Amino acid sequence: MECKLVPSVCSYCGTGCGVLFEVINGKIVSTLPMKTHPVNEGKLCIKGWNLHEHVNSFMRLKQPLVKTFGRFIKTDWDEAIQLTADRFREIIEKYGPDSIGVLVSAKITNEENYLAQKFARAAIGTNNVDHCARL
Amino acid sequence: MNNKVKAWLEDGTIDVFLGYKEVDHHPLPYCFTKERLDEVDDLLLSPARYSLEKIATHMTDEEPDIKIGMLARDCNSRALNVLYLWNQLNPDNVRTVNVNCCPSRLKEHGDCSYLEPETVGAYKRRVGVDNNLALKDVEAYDETERLDRWMYEFQKCIKCYGCRNICPVCFCKECSLEHDELVRTGPLLPDVPVFHMVRAVHMAGRCIDCGLCEAACPMDIPLRLLYQKVNQIVMDLFDYKTGTSVEQPPFSILGDTVTLEPKPIEPLKVINNE
Ligand code: SF4
Ligand code: SF4
Ligand code: SF4
Ligand code: SF4
Repeated sequence: MECKLVPSVCSYCGTGCGVLFEVINGKIVSTLPMKTHPVNEGKLCIKGWNLHEHVNSFMRLKQPLVKTFGRFIKTDWDEAIQLTADRFREIIEKYGPDSIGVLVSAKITNEENYLAQKFARAAIGTNNVDHCARL
Repeated sequence: MNNKVKAWLEDGTIDVFLGYKEVDHHPLPYCFTKERLDEVDDLLLSPARYSLEKIATHMTDEEPDIKIGMLARDCNSRALNVLYLWNQLNPDNVRTVNVNCCPSRLKEHGDCSYLEPETVGAYKRRVGVDNNLALKDVEAYDETERLDRWMYEFQKCIKCYGCRNICPVCFCKECSLEHDELVRTGPLLPDVPVFHMVRAVHMAGRCIDCGLCEAACPMDIPLRLLYQKVNQIVMDLFDYKTGTSVEQPPFSILGDTVTLEPKPIEPLKVINNE
């Protein structure tokens, strides 16, 4: 029997509540609020309480899909990134860099958000950066 | 305490021990094992309380014969009694190290903080139900006022299901609170007061008044008071004090015999004296 209680941060919204995953024999069986976490002080909303369900869901996407002739086909990361880069280049050449916008998210970390805006400005060359929480 | 736990792990009395340990500066529940015996030196009592017995039921779901040791405050022990009764855990497979419990109306000294009264804001005191009131103070409100006050509390509910999820004695595979006829999926407000009433009814003879639900409620609804009330009714009718013994509760249909008799009922007083 291996039972671990792993502290983490809820990935569902920008609040960032502290959660505790109950991991039994390698599977997350339940999510608990972290009582001593300064953000949520032992409370969660319904999304946080059910984090383990989306980790374990059979509907979860575990590898990239490429839409080919209207259908999603499984592929590997290298191919997916190559395809995306090629299409970006095509679009930028044809319509200019401002034809592309980058939407970042409250569900990812500050560092990831920083990287995304850096990618928009330095790699693509546009200031079109926006965020789901900037309502 | 640490030596006892180590000895138990070493001689195979238990396979795992559930206690607390500081992880990333937070006192968190922790599962100690024989393989990492040295860690037992870091065993904590922790000011923060988690339902260790609920974790134990999850472990038992995976490995039914696992022998579990755990720290047990008074509330943990009461919850364990209820779980034994409802066949969720086997008392032969559980060993406890009993420790001090929380300050409450029942006991004075304790290691955990939740049951210290928190101050309640002026608005809530005026229109809602103060979480720190005693049951008899709430019952002192006249009927209309009481209903208004409770409805103010219930309509705040954000249907997070935290009260059910955290509760050590809520273990049903199919929960009535997810039954479409009672509580529909989607709408907020949830169906009030049905949501809270359904849960209150289920807590009769089952809630051990640990207060974890109220502590987890983002809307500070005085849930304990609600369940104290249903258990007072159980006490009055059946003389049954939930969690204090492994005697079968009046509502359990499990097992071979029903051991509890209702208390002799006094003739009803005529309320409506027309
Ligand atoms: S638990 Fe709810 S409020 Fe907290 S971070 Fe997750 S989604 Fe946001
Ligand atoms: S106080 Fe709340 S969490 Fe504790 S047993 Fe009763 S209903 Fe469950
Ligand atoms: S609320 Fe009632 S049905 Fe739901 S888990 Fe608790 S006792 Fe079971
Ligand atoms: S914990 Fe509070 S807000 Fe959440 S469902 Fe229960 S009563 Fe409602």
